[in-house]
Amino acid sequence: MKGYAGKLLRVNLSDGKVSKEEIPDSTQRDFLGGRGFAIKLLWDEVKHIDPLSEKNKIIFSTGPLSGQLLPSSGKMVIASKSPLTGGYGDGNIGTMASVHLRKAGYDVVVVEGKSEKPCTLLIEDENVKMVESSELWGKDTFEAQDLLEKKHGKNSGILLIGPGGENLIPISTVMSQRGRAGGRPGMGAVMGSKHLKAIVIKGTGNISNFDDSRLRELGKKGHEEIKAKENLDFWMRQGTMQAFDWCNENGCLPTYNFKEGVFEFSKEMDGYILEKLHVGRKGCPMCSMQCGHVIKDSEDRQAELDYENVGMLGPNIGLKSLPHVALLNRMADEWGLDTISLGSGIGFLMEASERGLIKEKIGWGDFEAARTLVQEIGKGEGTGALVSKGVKAASEAIGRGSHRWAMHVKGLEISAYNCHGCPGMALSFGTSPIGASHKDAWIIAWEISTDRFSYNKEKVQKLIEFQRIRGGFFESATVCRLPWVEVSFGLHWYPEYLEAITGNRMTWEDLYQIGDRIYNLIRAYWKREIPHFGRTWDYPPDRWFEDPHSQGKMKGVKIDREKYEEMLSYYYELRGWDENGIPLKETLDRLGLKEVSKEMMG
Amino acid sequence: MAELKFFGYLSDFVGTRGKEVNLERPVPLREILPPRFPETNIIILINQKAGSLDSLIQDEDSVVLMPILSGG
Repeated sequence: MKGYAGKLLRVNLSDGKVSKEEIPDSTQRDFLGGRGFAIKLLWDEVKHIDPLSEKNKIIFSTGPLSGQLLPSSGKMVIASKSPLTGGYGDGNIGTMASVHLRKAGYDVVVVEGKSEKPCTLLIEDENVKMVESSELWGKDTFEAQDLLEKKHGKNSGILLIGPGGENLIPISTVMSQRGRAGGRPGMGAVMGSKHLKAIVIKGTGNISNFDDSRLRELGKKGHEEIKAKENLDFWMRQGTMQAFDWCNENGCLPTYNFKEGVFEFSKEMDGYILEKLHVGRKGCPMCSMQCGHVIKDSEDRQAELDYENVGMLGPNIGLKSLPHVALLNRMADEWGLDTISLGSGIGFLMEASERGLIKEKIGWGDFEAARTLVQEIGKGEGTGALVSKGVKAASEAIGRGSHRWAMHVKGLEISAYNCHGCPGMALSFGTSPIGASHKDAWIIAWEISTDRFSYNKEKVQKLIEFQRIRGGFFESATVCRLPWVEVSFGLHWYPEYLEAITGNRMTWEDLYQIGDRIYNLIRAYWKREIPHFGRTWDYPPDRWFEDPHSQGKMKGVKIDREKYEEMLSYYYELRGWDENGIPLKETLDRLGLKEVSKEMMG
Repeated sequence: MAELKFFGYLSDFVGTRGKEVNLERPVPLREILPPRFPETNIIILINQKAGSLDSLIQDEDSVVLMPILSGG
């Protein structure tokens, strides 16, 4: 199909074998790209294996919109069987590697096996080879990026891991360009388990589109629409950090390990403080509204901030200084650790200390302790080792009721929205296909704008609509959702882009169906890989049901468990899943997944 | 006094993050906002409950206006 290279590059690190395979038109049509391609490959090829064994595979996947001259298109998805959750894991990352992979003539790279020695995979158009990289092993992601750029050129597409991934830490991510991160559910550890330090991609070709001149015209108009948005100026000043006082006002800022929804020091570290400290901007390629805000950290080095890492490494651990948060964030990026899971893990340890469940004294807001913990978590040593496998594993290790406030769903830590007073957003975290990610259905703003405390069918319907658009379309197209989310860029553009790229006119209804196919296949994957997977895996932690806020306007607020169950049942009904949350045969068959239903149902 | 709080780019539009208004009688919210105040993709909370630009505001009310989009 036009707009795709139609090629998958497969590299086996055990024997060095490289092969190039055709991606069937039917896969392009049914799964679109990105996440869609990834789950199709994992379903077909990665079954009942240890995620950190050489039998696991890691997939780097683009879609038809990736790398095109379109708003915020420099994205790709990295997916694998997750060592953090045991189920399907993925994450998108903004990187020049996306642009170069498309130019090199591939849509997808699948890496399998395990190299004997640390290596870098070098992809230069048709030429693909493994290069021994023992000299890079142990280096942080900034230093290794510098060395790789020096060797291969500054504009190369580079994906790499830090010591966190090398040490097989399940909360490690894949990094790029000194601060771009992706693959929260342990994609860095999967690369580490294969002794794959980095992938360097240099492509010199062009994507063959159906109508290039039309696409250029549409892309230009899209960028012009974004530039004319009345909220763009504020976005450029604060980026996602505008959510900080927004969340505090609405009582959903994660504070003290999600105990509270307001932070008494919020005015000392909100988006307006960020504006004053701002010294630069970072972001993904092909983006005209870059979201990374650079400030000087407490060691006077540049570090990038956004809302998620400030929420989780700030109020969630009781830290009130943006330069201190920036330093922890920079360390996380250097080590290749996920900032959300890191903040959740440190918050968990602080609460465990407060409750006397661990012997170490780690007070809320103790910056030096947090700094030490980042290193310990990255090494899997000392006190930090307890949370280096995630808070679910930590709570299982120390017991004594700590599972009640281990803030995760399906083993993935909850991102920076406290949902005591937002049952729809709680359901969004509950049903996200990788664990508690906000990326699939950020319904919280819509929920607050309507009737936040209600448990109604409209919320569930809206949630599924968001999942179809965000988790289905954007993750598979694969482009950034923020132009739509943040400055109201029109969704109507995307079918037009697809038509100019592929020659096929698709409606949003068509795209919704692709999204549903992807969600059902991911759900089936969880069930196949974890036989006892089911309804309880869609429950948020007990804290949201049992520990009401003690402060602020949301004092006394918590979620009603019975009503959450009712919304969950309705969600399953709309999805065509049984009461245990497992796709029904007729649902899978309707979506063209008959082989899947056969394997599931026997 | 009714208290009005503005978040995100709406504070730029109004030129302040908050103001107080003396109201002798209930008035529709839009009447105490500047002309051409954005009408779509905004959250309006009146005493913590969802409202609209046509909601009647009276003294002692707390009104929060924020963009519906951001953060995720």
